[in-house]
Amino acid sequence: MKNFNQLNPVATMSRRYIQTLRFTLDIYRRLVAIQMRAQVQYRASFLLDVLSVAITMSMFFVSLALVFARFGNLAGWTLGQVAFLWAIVEVSFGLMDMIFSGFDPINFGRRIRQGTLDQLLLRPVNITIQVLGDDFVLRRLGRICEGFIIFALALKLAHIDWTLGKLLYLPCVVIGLVCFFGGLFIVGATITFWTVDSIEAINILTYGGSEMLSYPAHIYPDWLRRTFMYIVPALFLNYYPALYFLNKPDPFGLPTIMPFVAPLIGIGLLGAALIFWRFGLRHYQSTGT
Amino acid sequence: MRLFWELTKLSFQRQLTYRAALLAGLATNLFFGILRASVLVALYGTRTEVAGLSIRDAITYTALTQGIIAYLSIFGWYDLMNSIASGEVAADLLKPLSYFRFWLAQDLGRALVAFFLRGVTIMLLYRLIYDITLPHGIEQGLALTASLCLSWFVSFAWRFLVNLAAFWTPNAKGVGRFAFGIAWVLSGFFMPLRFFPAWFITLCNFTPFPSMVNTNIEIYLGLLTGAALWQALASQIFWAVGLTLLCQAILRSGVRHLVVQGG
Repeated sequence: MKNFNQLNPVATMSRRYIQTLRFTLDIYRRLVAIQMRAQVQYRASFLLDVLSVAITMSMFFVSLALVFARFGNLAGWTLGQVAFLWAIVEVSFGLMDMIFSGFDPINFGRRIRQGTLDQLLLRPVNITIQVLGDDFVLRRLGRICEGFIIFALALKLAHIDWTLGKLLYLPCVVIGLVCFFGGLFIVGATITFWTVDSIEAINILTYGGSEMLSYPAHIYPDWLRRTFMYIVPALFLNYYPALYFLNKPDPFGLPTIMPFVAPLIGIGLLGAALIFWRFGLRHYQSTGT
Repeated sequence: MRLFWELTKLSFQRQLTYRAALLAGLATNLFFGILRASVLVALYGTRTEVAGLSIRDAITYTALTQGIIAYLSIFGWYDLMNSIASGEVAADLLKPLSYFRFWLAQDLGRALVAFFLRGVTIMLLYRLIYDITLPHGIEQGLALTASLCLSWFVSFAWRFLVNLAAFWTPNAKGVGRFAFGIAWVLSGFFMPLRFFPAWFITLCNFTPFPSMVNTNIEIYLGLLTGAALWQALASQIFWAVGLTLLCQAILRSGVRHLVVQGG
């Protein structure tokens, strides 16, 4: 009896594909596990690191809160509502920075200069997974914790009318932001294939973008707001979803679907970034160091 | 003393060579400045003056703080602790001038480049976008110059002190991130100190941090005059001397502690 499955090329290919995928994911899991173990070796030092990041980052919000008392509101938004924006950015950016640190253009640029990317390229494992798994920064838990603290504060102050839809959509917004900023990191890293040094323009988009998203979009000058809506669509990732969560009207009168495009934009940008990254890899020439 | 100026000159020239980084830094500083100005303008709303600061002062405040980021290495300075991690410290300690002055000279060169190319340029770029306040009068100019010099010295002594942690712990970076992070808020870099509640301002005034940023700003905006001005400058001198003495004392015990690995 012949096993027809073995003769079916499509089935063989898809099985092989699944095998590779499983192997790659297993490698990623192991790489991350090693990273985590290494990073918590000095437990006291690690905990202090996480705690000190959480405290310093929280201090920014605390000082904003102290100053807020004098002003009452920020262009019609209360402290609790700003906290909502702020918390979502912090949790997402912290998560992204933990997962995508290997693609942080500064780290990646160093990799290109020192030639350590060549080492990774020689190994028979998916290169993207290796870059991700080589730099999993557990310390970022500090920023994520800070985000959760501020989120708790936002829940207490902003009195959000929770519905099932909102509860289900909240993680999607976070995923959208993680993908979006992760995609920007990958674009920035890929550019270093040509420039060798990391370019600062990408920092304006990543760090500048996260700062910008921490405040309501209608406070920015029109040209800036438009740039970050229609050229780099960052404001759809956080501000528009927040309008939905906080039941606020859209001051710019865009279609009512806009609060819900966040995950699509995030995943779309990450996808496009990965295509660019593949393209860059094909054109990579080692610096020879 | 000649060695000191030689080191300053070398560091100055080294900084000048990073031209691409200079442009990039300017763009980032300006971008963040616009974001911060937007937040303050939105907070002001229809108010014209808050805690003695007009809306124009508030925008000028963001220009000043963005302008001195590089000058005072506000985002942190880890050169000294890196040299301890790499072992270069062994050679540096043998240099024929004190370890404190060795780094002071280099930081002076770095700060001078940062002041003129980053600081002054940011103010000029701001002037194109916003109607910012400019300092006027000889008296204010002199006070501002003194304050800017002293703030650099206090900031250097603080950064030196924080870096000395590397003599004891391999995790000095973590200490640094914490110490520099605290300074962002308490120095008046994040928000003007005058906007905070009175108890918070009192708390800050017990630390050296307002001497790094806030004094410069208040003198620039003309908020300090007469006795208050002298008091602010005296406080800067106090912290400059105090922190330097502290640095020397801690350095002495740190050097006894130092183990340089390998060769």
